[in-house]
Amino acid sequence: MLFSRRLMLGLAIAGTMAGALAFPALAEGPTEIDLFFPVPVDGKLARDMGTLIKEFNETHPAIKATAVYTGSYDDTLIKTRASIKAGKPPAAVIMSANFLLDMQIENELTNLDSLIAADGTSKDQFLGQFFPALQGNAVINRSVYGVPFHNSTPLLYINADQAKEAGLDPNKPPQTWAELTDWAKKLTKREGDKVTRWGIAIPCAYDYCGWMMETLTMTNGGRYYNEEFGGEVYYDTPSMQGALTWWNDLVTKHKVHPPGATPGPAVSTSFISGNAAMMMLSTGSLTYVRDNAKFAYKVAFIPRNVRNAVPIGGASLIIPAGLEADKQKAAWTLIKWMTSPEKSAWWSRATGYFAPNMAAYKTPDMVEFLSKNPDAKTAVEQLNVAKPWFATYKTVPVRKTLEDEVMLVLNGKKQPKEALVAAQKAADETLKPYNAETSLKLP
Amino acid sequence: MSLAEPAALPVTTSAPPRLHILKRFTTGFKTSLPAYLLLLPSLIFLALFTYGAMGRVLVDALYQRATPKAPVRFVGLDNINAVLADPAFTGAVVNNLIYAVGTAIPSITLALLFALALSRTNAVTSVLRAALFLPVLIPMVAASALFLFIFLPNVGLLDYYIGRLLPVLPNWLGDSDIALYAIMIITIWKNAGYYMLFFLAGLQAVPEDVMEAAHLDGAGPFQRLRYIILPELKPTFLFVTVIATLNAVTQVDHVFVLTQGGPSNATNLVLFYIYQQAVEHYDIGKASAATLLTLAALMGLTALSFRTMANREGGA
Repeated sequence: MLFSRRLMLGLAIAGTMAGALAFPALAEGPTEIDLFFPVPVDGKLARDMGTLIKEFNETHPAIKATAVYTGSYDDTLIKTRASIKAGKPPAAVIMSANFLLDMQIENELTNLDSLIAADGTSKDQFLGQFFPALQGNAVINRSVYGVPFHNSTPLLYINADQAKEAGLDPNKPPQTWAELTDWAKKLTKREGDKVTRWGIAIPCAYDYCGWMMETLTMTNGGRYYNEEFGGEVYYDTPSMQGALTWWNDLVTKHKVHPPGATPGPAVSTSFISGNAAMMMLSTGSLTYVRDNAKFAYKVAFIPRNVRNAVPIGGASLIIPAGLEADKQKAAWTLIKWMTSPEKSAWWSRATGYFAPNMAAYKTPDMVEFLSKNPDAKTAVEQLNVAKPWFATYKTVPVRKTLEDEVMLVLNGKKQPKEALVAAQKAADETLKPYNAETSLKLP
Repeated sequence: MSLAEPAALPVTTSAPPRLHILKRFTTGFKTSLPAYLLLLPSLIFLALFTYGAMGRVLVDALYQRATPKAPVRFVGLDNINAVLADPAFTGAVVNNLIYAVGTAIPSITLALLFALALSRTNAVTSVLRAALFLPVLIPMVAASALFLFIFLPNVGLLDYYIGRLLPVLPNWLGDSDIALYAIMIITIWKNAGYYMLFFLAGLQAVPEDVMEAAHLDGAGPFQRLRYIILPELKPTFLFVTVIATLNAVTQVDHVFVLTQGGPSNATNLVLFYIYQQAVEHYDIGKASAATLLTLAALMGLTALSFRTMANREGGA
């Protein structure tokens, strides 16, 4: 009795509060908007985001932005979709760059063209601020749906001390797959059958594995997916077969790469502890390696077999569909501010991602930072050969069909060719409904 | 409700039957109205957050869209058929069965051994009980994050200690043959201490006089265990088995943190499969259908547990 009376009282109070929240328009005040942001690396990012948003609110009295932490990239997608479904989408979201196409297909994104036009800038002018490699994931059907915010590429990390010890010159890092294989063989240490130090480690966990397969396939001359159309992936191709066969050879034939699927954190820990002499990992891990490595290290481009090419990674700012006009406008102001050269450069130094806005590298602070940390320059230079990150209809399940098969190969359960045939078949099945509505919908 | 039942209901037997029923209904409702009013706050929340959600799942499971832009339409049992035909789902069910049996039996056996060893209360056993109970207090997510480092290949704590004894260092979470067992070890480590509590409580209920009589009759420790303690613990066994099985279906935090169901679906469990369908595939129909199937299985288990309780009450 007492309990329920208390409950009633609580309900009454909650009701009044909800009522007060529901009519904020009655009071003349700043436009309140939410920004969903993920923390894909470590916890310091949340504090940096707080600093950034505080500065924005101080300089823009008409808008009150609130940064809402939403977990990993995948969690952020879930939470954004949930709030769109609930009819209360956030005004802006920092979204993993390869989720944009899938969201656009599901009608969950605001087309930014009209906002760009309202500013009096042309689309080309607007996109021209960013590295060309980043545009592929932001532009869908020639309309802008996202603004690049922080980005990465895969890098080859080398333990320079161990390389010297093995008679290799870390200032001339391996440039081809052949050289890399040779380095890895020389850097692997064995006691009988047991390997005490691996020559190279490449991560393979869901998400990372697909990105690394795209990297290896691209350096082998291939493509992962159709960049112009979200209904096709190219798994069962010679270029991907070559890539997977080489990865598998490093494991089974040369025995210089740990067997099985190794997640990203395990790879970086291995490298930091000296247990793996080289690794392929995102530029996003550069700050972590810089802070933790007790040895001299080098970063280099991902070696090629056919050509130098890497996919981009990272996230773009988006505006979800179904937002009121005033909030949309406020979100656009926030997005433009966050991706301006100064803020872009500041965020890059704070996090380790590279700044997508090219002008950021001309700011004095950034010039000074790069002269102190030349390794951060490699990531930016590699952008010249970078291409978009795979994005299809249902990106995650389509990617997972490949990853499951790659893991089987790395565990010695399947041969590369049969694995890729199976992956292609499963991916085609997942893409079928989209093709039925687009490429196979005939007059 | 029985509280509110009027003491003497049938007033006259000669009254017309329809009126009688109606009258009975209205008086019944009138007298139980305060009871319903008292229940209302809880009922509202139960309806909103439990039955409402279940109803929604039931509806969602019957709808599907043919192509991304097409609106959802009624498809009947198609979603359930699609789930049952999905090798990832059947794989998850098989994994879940291995996982349930492989975690329930060892953790219950360990729990019983711990409880038997620590049944007497003194300073030493209290400390040991607390130590064995500690894993229960650690949230599964935190425990999984700890085990992530223990299981790290080559550099992890596990390889550091037992690596010297093995010819080849296993990739605990990255090898599709080993990963599920690595996950199971965490569950056993986490739950054995919890089940120990139930067995400790059960052991208190073993009648002292029977034990003393057996002692006087010359029954050895094994005979006392086999013929007195274990039969007395039967209700506890049944109860813990049900709890352990429910845990095997409802706890997937460690799968989420450690393997994401991989490598190659080797550690995919049913609940994680549902999560994948809803979140990764964005297929609410299939996720709801899989939820319904799991719910049916769990309800069966709950019915079993109710019967177990009833037996326990009646059998005493």
